[in-house]
Amino acid sequence: MDASIGVAHCFAMDSRPSAPKRPLVSVVDDDESVRESLPDLLREFGFDASSFSSAEEFLASDILGQTKCLILDIAMPGMTGLDLQQELRQRRESIPIIFITAQKDPVSRERALKQGAVQFLYKPFSDTALLDALNSAVSAK
Amino acid sequence: MNFGNVGLAELVHPRQPDMEAKVKDPAQEIKRLQRCINDLVSLLALPALWKSKEPSQIVHTLFDVLIRMLRLDFAYGRFKDPTGSGFLQIVRISDSSELNVSQREIGKTMNDLFGGDGQKPFSPIRSKFGDQDISLFAVPLGLEREIGIIVVGCERDGFPVDVESLLLGVAANQVAIGLQEAHLLNEQRRVANELDQRVAQRTLELANANEELRKEIGERKKIEDRLRESEASLAQAQYLSRTGSFSWKVANDEIAWSEQLYRIFDFEPGTPVTIERINSRVHPDDLAAMIERVARARGSGGAFEYEHRLLMPDGSVKYLMAIAQGHPSAEGKLGYMGAVQDVTQRRSSEEALAKARSELANVARMTSLGVLTASIAHEVNQPLSGIITNASTCLRMLSADPPNVEGACETARRTIRDGHRASDVVTRLRTLYSKKEPALESMDLNETVREVMALLWTEIQKHRVTLRQEFAEDLPAALGDRIQLQQVILNLIRNAADAMSAVDDRPRELLVRTERADGNRVRLSVRDSGVGITPQAADKIFEAFYTTKTDGMGIGLSVSRSIIEAHRGRLWATRNDGPGTTFSFTIPCGAEGAADVENHFNAEERKADAA
Repeated sequence: MDASIGVAHCFAMDSRPSAPKRPLVSVVDDDESVRESLPDLLREFGFDASSFSSAEEFLASDILGQTKCLILDIAMPGMTGLDLQQELRQRRESIPIIFITAQKDPVSRERALKQGAVQFLYKPFSDTALLDALNSAVSAK
Repeated sequence: MNFGNVGLAELVHPRQPDMEAKVKDPAQEIKRLQRCINDLVSLLALPALWKSKEPSQIVHTLFDVLIRMLRLDFAYGRFKDPTGSGFLQIVRISDSSELNVSQREIGKTMNDLFGGDGQKPFSPIRSKFGDQDISLFAVPLGLEREIGIIVVGCERDGFPVDVESLLLGVAANQVAIGLQEAHLLNEQRRVANELDQRVAQRTLELANANEELRKEIGERKKIEDRLRESEASLAQAQYLSRTGSFSWKVANDEIAWSEQLYRIFDFEPGTPVTIERINSRVHPDDLAAMIERVARARGSGGAFEYEHRLLMPDGSVKYLMAIAQGHPSAEGKLGYMGAVQDVTQRRSSEEALAKARSELANVARMTSLGVLTASIAHEVNQPLSGIITNASTCLRMLSADPPNVEGACETARRTIRDGHRASDVVTRLRTLYSKKEPALESMDLNETVREVMALLWTEIQKHRVTLRQEFAEDLPAALGDRIQLQQVILNLIRNAADAMSAVDDRPRELLVRTERADGNRVRLSVRDSGVGITPQAADKIFEAFYTTKTDGMGIGLSVSRSIIEAHRGRLWATRNDGPGTTFSFTIPCGAEGAADVENHFNAEERKADAA
């Protein structure tokens, strides 16, 4: 774990977005420890964070419209991450998606990227990798 | 000789007028008397002609002679039917007679005149026949007319004269004798016939009896042959199956053995067998039980099933299985009959098979290392990911201005917690896959299952499975290796979840149940509502390397079964009444002797084999 690089990076670069309002990043993962730890990290990055335990919950919420980036698990009961990606496309929602998954799944990775995902990360991922992906997602918009 | 009513005196001294006329001419008289003698001789010669003739033939012959001899007009005879109870009538009319009467008319008239039992006088009667006057003269046959009667008719006036009536008398006598003889002959013939018939009948009966006897002998021979064959077959069967038979009379300890049993014990066939001799072969470790069993058998008379070993002179050990059935003997005393089978081969091959199976399972476990590491990696990634995220956050919080110490503490705490989780998982997984004999100890099955379910909770949730549990509250402690059993339970629950992964039209229900089972055991069942298995697959799925998953290694169920069997338990699968399958295993409860466990295991196996 390159923690020192992470800190240096933090000091060296103002990672806070220039926009006055902190962009909202939504985390959708059925894994409780992810929902527990990731939002804190995102806030340290300078984002606003909200978390959902299922894709259905996210779709049902009114956060959808405000979400600037989606961090999405693949394997979930009910609607999977890939299902949600397809659903959003159908709804003409162009929220950038970063996929995170515990399982090495090259098939899903290829499909997700083909469908326009910004990044596909395997757990455990470093905070810098995540930050890079987030910056790409937000600046691409 | 019967001369009818004509006495000898009258013969010698005939009626006067005739005598006077005749005396005038002595020469003629001599001629007449000569003719009479000649006729008498002819009459006396008749019986020779009549020999073996039928009565009617006799009478006809007589009538021929009489009609010619006496120049009769007709002759009528009525005599008893020798064959029946009626009468025969014969009428002969002379060819030269001028009588114009039919035979029937004559017969009828004679019957009227002389028939019945009336004592009619036998003197001549002059009667009219048509327009003729006929003299009728009746001559009885037999002393009391029992044979019959002859009536002759002649138109000559004065008929019959002396010699004529003499001749008629003699003729009557002769014919009577002839008829009697004929009758006797008939009787003789009849009796002879009857005798012949009886002899023939008897001969037939004897021939039949002989045939029957011959058949019976043939049958008996066949039966004896069959018996011999069957005895030979039995001996052969005993030899091939290594089974010997014995009988034991309790009162005098008389013991009889089949040849095969001698072979099993390695005693000289035919030598006497005693309890002491048997005990000299019984394995010392089994001897006490044997002695006790024999003592019990003396008193009880039921059925016995038992096993014991033999220690042979060359030091080798034989395994025997025996059954014996008590029964009252012919004298009402107690006796046993039984069979003993040498199962040494089977036992050693069973052991070899079990050893090979467990070796194979171990090999399978080793080669699944790739899967194992992937499995471990997956299980561990979850907490690892948490650690990295939380630690990163911790550092950022500390380097913020001002430092977010409270937040840093929280993230540090989570980090430590996740670190422990990861360690736990690794430890569990390592022991889960280690090759060890089950360390049997008293354990709580419910608690064991709960730990597994805690480990799998997240994974099960991902599969959108409803997990239900029904744990028996009074479940007794089981005898098992907790870690190894958890491996099995893990495998079963994972399989159940996988089985339902394609199910969308009904709830995915996974039920884990614990309960008491027969024979001092506990049972765990994992029931899913998945796709189910066919009856043919029910046993196949436990084979090593059998899998329905494209990336599966197929070691889960075969390893699980070998673990359960090492616990002296049983693992099996059954189709549900509804959709899906139920996997169950039973293991013995704690605080049980190994022997009892083994016996129950054998009984269960036999039950399963029979089912």
